[in-house]
Amino acid sequence: MRSRAFSLALCAVSAFLACVAATPPSRAGTVTFAVGGAPAEFAYWERVVRKFEGKTGIRVELLRQPTDTGLRRQGLTVPLQARISSPDVFLMDVAWLAQFAASGWLEPLSPHLGKEGCAGKEAFFLRMIDTVDTYEGGVVALPVYVDGGLLYYRKDLLGKYGLPGPPRTWDELLRYSETVQRGERRSRPGFYAFAWQGAQYEGLVCDFLEFAGPTGGFRVENGEVTVDTPQNRKALRFMRDLIGKYGVSPPNTYTEMREEEVRSFFQEGYALFERNWPYAWPLHEGRDSPVRGKTGIAALPGWSQGEGAACLGGWHAGISRFSDAKPESVKFLCYLTSYETQRDLALHLGWNPGRRDVYAAPELLAKNPHLPALRAVFENARPRPLLPYYSRLSEILQRHLSAALAGTSTPEEALSAAGREMQAVVTRYR
Amino acid sequence: MGEDRSFRDLLRGYSFIAPLVAILLAFVFVPVVGTCIDSLYREVTFLPRAFIGLGNYQSLASDPGFRQSLRFTVLFVLASVPLELVLGLSFALLLHRPSPARGALRACVLIPWAVPAAVSGKVFELICNFQYGLANYLVQRIGLTDGPVNWLGSTGGAFFALVAGDVWKTAPFVAILFLAGLSAIPEDLYRQAAVDRAGPVQRFARITLPLLRPVFVVALLFRTIDALRVFDLVFVLTRGGPGGSTTSLSLYGYDAFTGGDFGYGSAVSVVLFLIAFTLSVAYVRIGRFGRELS
Repeated sequence: MRSRAFSLALCAVSAFLACVAATPPSRAGTVTFAVGGAPAEFAYWERVVRKFEGKTGIRVELLRQPTDTGLRRQGLTVPLQARISSPDVFLMDVAWLAQFAASGWLEPLSPHLGKEGCAGKEAFFLRMIDTVDTYEGGVVALPVYVDGGLLYYRKDLLGKYGLPGPPRTWDELLRYSETVQRGERRSRPGFYAFAWQGAQYEGLVCDFLEFAGPTGGFRVENGEVTVDTPQNRKALRFMRDLIGKYGVSPPNTYTEMREEEVRSFFQEGYALFERNWPYAWPLHEGRDSPVRGKTGIAALPGWSQGEGAACLGGWHAGISRFSDAKPESVKFLCYLTSYETQRDLALHLGWNPGRRDVYAAPELLAKNPHLPALRAVFENARPRPLLPYYSRLSEILQRHLSAALAGTSTPEEALSAAGREMQAVVTRYR
Repeated sequence: MGEDRSFRDLLRGYSFIAPLVAILLAFVFVPVVGTCIDSLYREVTFLPRAFIGLGNYQSLASDPGFRQSLRFTVLFVLASVPLELVLGLSFALLLHRPSPARGALRACVLIPWAVPAAVSGKVFELICNFQYGLANYLVQRIGLTDGPVNWLGSTGGAFFALVAGDVWKTAPFVAILFLAGLSAIPEDLYRQAAVDRAGPVQRFARITLPLLRPVFVVALLFRTIDALRVFDLVFVLTRGGPGGSTTSLSLYGYDAFTGGDFGYGSAVSVVLFLIAFTLSVAYVRIGRFGRELS
């Protein structure tokens, strides 16, 4: 009896030792690169990594993340908060950069820029790298690809109703929308002129900042939140009325419309205008797309002509402060932002490079004639407020914007309530 | 010699339950205590850690977003749990009757329970979808409305869709619990009652219901705790909208975590834990569950 218990214990101990012995050998010098996205994107990253390995002999392991932005962020926050050495290199949405930087999770990059195969600051969009990628005077991330809100429009429908070109002001957009919708409804009952992102999520804040224009939006200065302004009220009333009073945006705008819902709505021919990111362009021009060849791209309208504001989006790469392969990670990051890689990303995935100089590449211009126009949009795109607690404020704003769109509160009530709650958060983190 | 023996027995007994105690300590006690401790700190990724006592709880008390999610969560429990118990009991009574298809029926009823909540949330989203949803197809086909309805667009609609999703998924689970309870009731009791000329209503009220009480308490306990911490269904179906009206406490805490505020998120979790704990103790007391066991 006793001997059996003893042998059982022996088994347990040896099993434990076997487990310990089986832990993988030291992976020093291996770079773990966390990246998410659609299957095609992931497959492309694999090719980038293989090429880099062939060139340098440094091993890179891809850590597959989900497509959803929130889940990608969570997948990075947990290991970084726990100071785990992997992943070494990762992509961050521009909206979280301030939090990651202020948390002390990002390795300073300034010493490496312009040296040993690394691009210098001047290769990138200067305004972008000096604002969103810089923390306390040092660069902590580099843009891999950039985004800005755009207006897509149906060239054929504008022509059919004798309209001159894409609208330059929100009033024009509304007028065009009403005209075309009235006509198109006869043959297509589900037609709504203007699709945009109104669901309760981060995209809603981006759209709101664009409707509010360069003088609107929210600011935190000296610990004071400014969000309840006449300009913002006007913008929010307009957003609500597009759905309700004017009825030119679909009723499910504030429940279901995120990027993909908006894109497919427009792509299936149900809309005249679409607010979306540049990623929608190659899809609209895809072989099986009903709007192929009928779509145009313009800068977003403003309240007065030329006063449009695109929300800055995009993904930036950084290196973990806790990485145990920093020199190798720097090499990999520089490779990601090299001219060739950036050009190939644009060629194969249709992404807009974070490097400014790539926009003049002839092979890219041949494939995407909109590139110069896009570059202008990105140069002027406005970042969301650069605050470490930005997402806490955004979450509050989303909730109240959504309430105003759903009609459970007036735009005035929504903005003043949002202001009060945002102020409480700012005060707590001061 | 004898004393030595009993000591060895005792030791052996403890060594048998030691793994269970270790697992409970590692996976229940440590996280709960850790969360409670975190909730007393300013535990924010971008600020230095600092002890702030009940500061996070004070902020919660004056946070309208927290109050909104607390209200939603309580209403959600009150609406979904009673429905699940009534439907579950009805299913169980039907499935308990001998019939040739009983095995197949029992398996069918269990299907919704086997579907992950994230998937059933997606299914309900497709049903409620404005453009392609089944619900809109049906109401327009029958002619109830002229155009499509934005089901999730009103506070009530979104709430109802969530309750429906939860009831659809978990009523079968309750049914299985009740079914087990029903099979444990000796047939003799019913036969004796029939001899005493008790009708079906009387038999149900005097025999079935009282003897099902322990199972009832267990089902109530499981469902209440589960409904209190609802996350996946809300995350997939409404993501807290519109206007934050369907944000559950778990989702509210999750948003704090992803925003980098682990202290605040922990405080939300502790509040949720305290509510669940208090209710559990109350149920067990009211259900006189302890006496039943001994």
